[in-house]
Amino acid sequence: MTKFNAAEIASVIQAEIENYQDAIRVEEVGTVLEVGDGIARVYGLSNVMAGEMVQFPTGAIGMAFNLEENSVGVTILGDYLKIQEGDEVKALGKLLSVPVGDAVIGRVVDPLGIPLDGKGPIASSENRPVEFMAPGVAGRQPVKEPLQTGIKAIDAMTPIGRGQRELIIGDRKTGKTTIAIDTILNQRHSGVKCFYVAIGQKDSSVRNTIKVLEEHGAMDYTTVVMAGASAPAPLQYVAPYAGTAMAEYFTYKGEHALIVYDDLSKQAVAYRQMSLLMRRPPGREAFPGDVFYCHSRLLERSAKLSNERGAGSLTSLPIIETLEGEVSAYIPTNVISITDGQIYLQPDLFFKGIRPAMNVGISVSRVGGAAQIKAMKDKQVAGGLRLALAAFRELEAFAQLGTDLDAATQSRLDRGYRMVELLKQPQYQPLEVVDQVMIIYAGNTGSLDDIPLARVRDFETEFLQYVRDLKGDLRTQILEKKELTPELKTALTEAINHFKATFVKQVK
Amino acid sequence: MAKPRSTPNFDPARQRLGTVYAKALLGASEQAGQTELVLEELGALISDVLNKLPDFDEALQTPRIPPEEKVQLLERVFAARLTPLTLNFLKVVAQHERLDCLRAIERAARLRYNEMRNRVEVLVQSAAPLNNQLRGTIAAKLGKMLGREVVLTTEVNPDLLGGLLVRVGDTVYDGSLAGKLKQMQAVTLEQTTHAIRESLARFSLT
Repeated sequence: MTKFNAAEIASVIQAEIENYQDAIRVEEVGTVLEVGDGIARVYGLSNVMAGEMVQFPTGAIGMAFNLEENSVGVTILGDYLKIQEGDEVKALGKLLSVPVGDAVIGRVVDPLGIPLDGKGPIASSENRPVEFMAPGVAGRQPVKEPLQTGIKAIDAMTPIGRGQRELIIGDRKTGKTTIAIDTILNQRHSGVKCFYVAIGQKDSSVRNTIKVLEEHGAMDYTTVVMAGASAPAPLQYVAPYAGTAMAEYFTYKGEHALIVYDDLSKQAVAYRQMSLLMRRPPGREAFPGDVFYCHSRLLERSAKLSNERGAGSLTSLPIIETLEGEVSAYIPTNVISITDGQIYLQPDLFFKGIRPAMNVGISVSRVGGAAQIKAMKDKQVAGGLRLALAAFRELEAFAQLGTDLDAATQSRLDRGYRMVELLKQPQYQPLEVVDQVMIIYAGNTGSLDDIPLARVRDFETEFLQYVRDLKGDLRTQILEKKELTPELKTALTEAINHFKATFVKQVK
Repeated sequence: MAKPRSTPNFDPARQRLGTVYAKALLGASEQAGQTELVLEELGALISDVLNKLPDFDEALQTPRIPPEEKVQLLERVFAARLTPLTLNFLKVVAQHERLDCLRAIERAARLRYNEMRNRVEVLVQSAAPLNNQLRGTIAAKLGKMLGREVVLTTEVNPDLLGGLLVRVGDTVYDGSLAGKLKQMQAVTLEQTTHAIRESLARFSLT
């Protein structure tokens, strides 16, 4: 279809040669002493900086990682099999940096910003260093705007604010990634730029994730930074920092960004491998002593900036995979202590069909109500939901003993079962916050108590459809006021009762 | 392009030990005022003896011969040929079983001595042999630029095609024709792809 004019290209080359600036190149060089397992030991490079980029004759980029008295330990971010002893290494004179800007949005890139999606080169003139100091106390402000995940259980009970770090922790196959993906899908109209950093994941599962994002139109505002299970350890280690650098570009421009690190336990393992190969002394579980700092400096970069600095925000959702629910292992405890709360997912809940399989009792958000709209905070909506559910769990355990229950206890149990049913949510179907408010209000005020348990979810979908079709007014008003005034509550109750009359008939 | 420097048996740990012995050697020879001589002897020992008689080199390095025997051997072979200071130093090194570090010691001592005298070793590679006049000019110019006296070593490397490639320590000043062509290739490639990409955008619009 497209034809190039050979003469045109030739003229470009000619112009280039004519305008060629003659300058002597000055380079700092070293010699490879040994190479293997993704690291190289280099003699020379006497003025190299820690974290500086170096280049091997094969074109592979490396990062000066260990500066020793006689040699420099370089981690190789790329193919290390073609590098040989005696090869000359050039210092590039700049810290490791990645391309940033609008050009990376919608792309799948590796941690050096090299595209992996076959959509051509990334035309970006701007670069940001991969390692960047987190904003200080004066440059921040408290987290106060909500970042809606679109998941009822999370938005109601462990709300996430813009600039918060909320850990998603759980065993394998408990739906950790799904929560993160749902959150990304829900940012479709919020203007939040999303970054999904896949570290040590199977390439096939990342491919699936990308497919889901594409199908739901989320790739329009999302970047996938990928260092799969087959990527060398140094790339896996650098990936979260690279993703953060790309996200920070928007934060410091005064925009909002969300970054998902999936997952940090694999990054810690990659870092352990590098550190052990570099002969840094091992500590607990053979992780190096600075693995805490490795995660804390990364997560500290998520912040809500002060108004003077543009009021941008970077929210992060780090994911940690536990083994057999062991949260007291080294890396999980570290990351739990760094983040502003955690969403704890449990396999037994997952297999009971409670999805998202969130354990409400031990999941917390240390930002709390500041990250919720007033309507959600209302006593009759999510206000007392956490405590009510906790009381229900206690009661449920007691009821299992098989004793006869009085009517009051039985009705409290029924309410609890319905609330649990109501908080279930299928994947890739995030709900808008108004819808969440309305349906939780319906459950909390007891409107569902006489609906059969199996029909609760039908009630939810049909009711929300009914409101959208026939009570558009009410919905917009809640959306605009962001608050449930007594008048709105009356109108909402009326709508619920009206719908229920037809729904009950249909059930019978 | 410049070929990678071959570094046979280069070992950073040995180099570190070498630095320690070199420091001691220079301290002693400076006091005696014989540094030039000692360094020259050490250099000759390595290039004329050890490199040419690998068996002798191995005999000195092997731990199977006890240090006392090595000291006697050194005495018998070199007593008449080396200054007492150099010989004593070799004996000390032998006693500590560090004769395998001799090359590292020599390298470190040379570097340190140059530093002490405010000199710097410079390697100049050129495509064709340089005549003495040219060498003098290059040394003088480089000396002025670096602010130090230049000890010039030259090498002929036909791969450079033309121009000069200067190495000062770990820094390389590449003024060779091959380097320039390579640089030009990179720039042209980049600019041309850029131009092609832009023309592609033009095509997609129409």
